[in-house]
Amino acid sequence: MRRSALILLGLMLFVSSIRTAALPQASPNETKPKTTAKKPAADEGEKRFKENCGRCHNPPDSLSPREVKAVVQHMRVRAMLSAEDERLILKFLAP
Amino acid sequence: MVFRIVRRTVIKAGIALATICYIATVACAQSDTPILSGAVAFLGANRGGAPTYQPVIEPVLVAPFGDHFVVEARGDIQGFVFREGGNTGPYNAIFAASLFYLQLDYVANSHLTVTVGRFLTPFNIYNERISPIWIANLQTAPIIFTIGTRTSASSNGAMLRGVAVDRANWTINYTAYVSALTTTQNLEAGRAAGGRVGLFLPHHGFEVGASYQRFLQNEGSNISGAYVVWQPQPIPLDVRAEYAHSPGGHGYWLEGAYHLASNRDTGRWLSRFQPVARVQQYFKGNPTPEDLLPSADVNQFDVGLNYYLPHNIRLNGSYGRQFSSAGDANIWNFQISYRFLFPAWPGGHS
Repeated sequence: MRRSALILLGLMLFVSSIRTAALPQASPNETKPKTTAKKPAADEGEKRFKENCGRCHNPPDSLSPREVKAVVQHMRVRAMLSAEDERLILKFLAP
Repeated sequence: MVFRIVRRTVIKAGIALATICYIATVACAQSDTPILSGAVAFLGANRGGAPTYQPVIEPVLVAPFGDHFVVEARGDIQGFVFREGGNTGPYNAIFAASLFYLQLDYVANSHLTVTVGRFLTPFNIYNERISPIWIANLQTAPIIFTIGTRTSASSNGAMLRGVAVDRANWTINYTAYVSALTTTQNLEAGRAAGGRVGLFLPHHGFEVGASYQRFLQNEGSNISGAYVVWQPQPIPLDVRAEYAHSPGGHGYWLEGAYHLASNRDTGRWLSRFQPVARVQQYFKGNPTPEDLLPSADVNQFDVGLNYYLPHNIRLNGSYGRQFSSAGDANIWNFQISYRFLFPAWPGGHS
């Protein structure tokens, strides 16, 4: 009985997690109708951020333009970013 | 006695940090804004019935000098509260400060960065990429962590690193380093030379690499390792594994973490959970006390759960069971950490 309940609970959690992962993760700002398209460089920068930096951590809550250069230079050395990665991620974090 | 040690340690660390900040301030006043980052954490553990508590502050200082030079430093000040005699005696505490790295990087071009000073020994990936307390999915380091990083996990010398080949679908990264023997307290390092090379497929979130080190102290020894990282983009899965071999012993660890949503900051309660599991095996060779390796074969598994709160606060807890001929043990861990990042001083240009 307990085993069945545990299996059921596990299944519910699994299905719930897949649903949560699959749902579009819109932030409050993104629910507003978009009037302008994102710049391609920013899209590519976001992609590079996810591929490189996102392997260990999420984007910081907020970064002021003053902090961005130091952060990206730090991560270029730490995370072995290429010059192109650095340029695009810089554009993504400080458009 | 304890307070005297604490006071001395804090004063030393404070002077070191103030000196670094001052140098960075003077050097960068006309150029870029340095940042102060890092984390504060409180760790609790119970290993085989012996409780310990560790308050930790782990600051990171980054000071760019134009486009080519960066000074980076990371250290920690931590307390270690424990019961004398394991779990029966009165509580005691020791405090210590460590300097993990203090390095000057010269970004020569797209393919080469030259680093001098004290840096994290680039053997496999755990030490460089996963060890910070705000990144590690599980609090405890793998058993084989000290293979390739023994003495202090840091090296004093010079290092070359970068991306050797950069293509749209794959890159090859590398590091090569030499380190000198240092016995100064808090700055210990071994005499060694080595390197690492990795192949990264960004679109698949897959990386595989290998490490080699020639430890040049004592009788000298060859140490080798390999690692794999797989983080497929469509699902929030994170799989990492390492293998390391030395005359003292060899072993591997395999860790998997699954975020219950692709974006942990959606506000959904489930999106903030991340279950983690790790299995590891260690096989004894001819370990010496300097190896810091177990004196018997060890099998261990750990399961844990991370919970990401808003404002860069993270809670995590884990349970592990260790099986060894030297004695089995239950290992419980708990941690709360806060990740911070701000400019090293107010003002400056935007």
